[in-house]
Amino acid sequence: MSISKIRGCIGCGECVQACPTDVIRLNKSDVKAYIAYPDDCQMCHLCRMSCPVDAITISPEKSIPVIISWG
Amino acid sequence: MNNKSKLYYLVPCGIFYLAVPLIYMIVGDFPSRTVLKEILSLATVGAFFLFLGQFYLSRINTVTLKGQNYSKVVKLHKIIGYVCIPIIFLHPFFIVLPRYFEASLDPVDAFWLILTTFDSKGIILGLIAMALMILIGITAILRKRIHMKYKTWRTMHAFLSLAFIFVATWHAVDLGRHMDTFFSEYTIFMSSIGVVFLMRTYFFNNENKEKTHEE
Ligand code: SF4
Ligand code: SF4
Repeated sequence: MSISKIRGCIGCGECVQACPTDVIRLNKSDVKAYIAYPDDCQMCHLCRMSCPVDAITISPEKSIPVIISWG
Repeated sequence: MNNKSKLYYLVPCGIFYLAVPLIYMIVGDFPSRTVLKEILSLATVGAFFLFLGQFYLSRINTVTLKGQNYSKVVKLHKIIGYVCIPIIFLHPFFIVLPRYFEASLDPVDAFWLILTTFDSKGIILGLIAMALMILIGITAILRKRIHMKYKTWRTMHAFLSLAFIFVATWHAVDLGRHMDTFFSEYTIFMSSIGVVFLMRTYFFNNENKEKTHEE
């Protein structure tokens, strides 16, 4: 998991559109984004970059380990 | 009364309306961001809490300001008002300003998106609060040019401020990135103190009502 928090969301839905792996959903009752499938996050930062109010935090410490091909 | 003791009333104001919120923002468990973003957030929250403190620093506070020189208190009230209004007015720009220095959405597009997200209760409340704040500012600056008795103007100012604080507090609790349970409750509590002062003056205390309405 890498996307960690959404705070101060205005519910514009930009991050939902931007996420390639459908991690974020919009809660219909309070019209705010929430992290629905954190394990699917690819840390592409597209959601963070598209958020107008900078509401999304992506944990820097949870980075994908570097994968080196063997042989 | 010496000068030192005259300033005692400022101590609780400084602690509860400035130090506590700012310290909580600094030491609380919030995602860390760039220095610029943190400074802009501190300025916004500081200005907002000073607005809440305006009820404390006004003639309706006949509890802790008893025996104080009201003209000095009112002077401070005006200075805080005129400093905080521009900060709060600019805070939507503060949100998008750091976007000029990072790879992300264009700041102008971000700003437009914020202003046009009418599905958000927080945005609607913010726009109403902004309109009320501008109205308060304009009627305060042009007080002498408005053909209105001082007493009437002061009542209008008090109730416009009450409406502003109610809507702005709701907006802040709904959208504030630092609004966890403690901070939300603290903000609502500090706003309620102003409401209590106002209710007490205008609805429940005839003696104070007369005093407050004196020029
Ligand atoms: S970082 Fe990328 S994958 Fe992860 S939630 Fe954001 S857009 Fe989706
Ligand atoms: S882009 Fe930001 S403001 Fe818009 S829904 Fe996503 S988290 Fe909320």
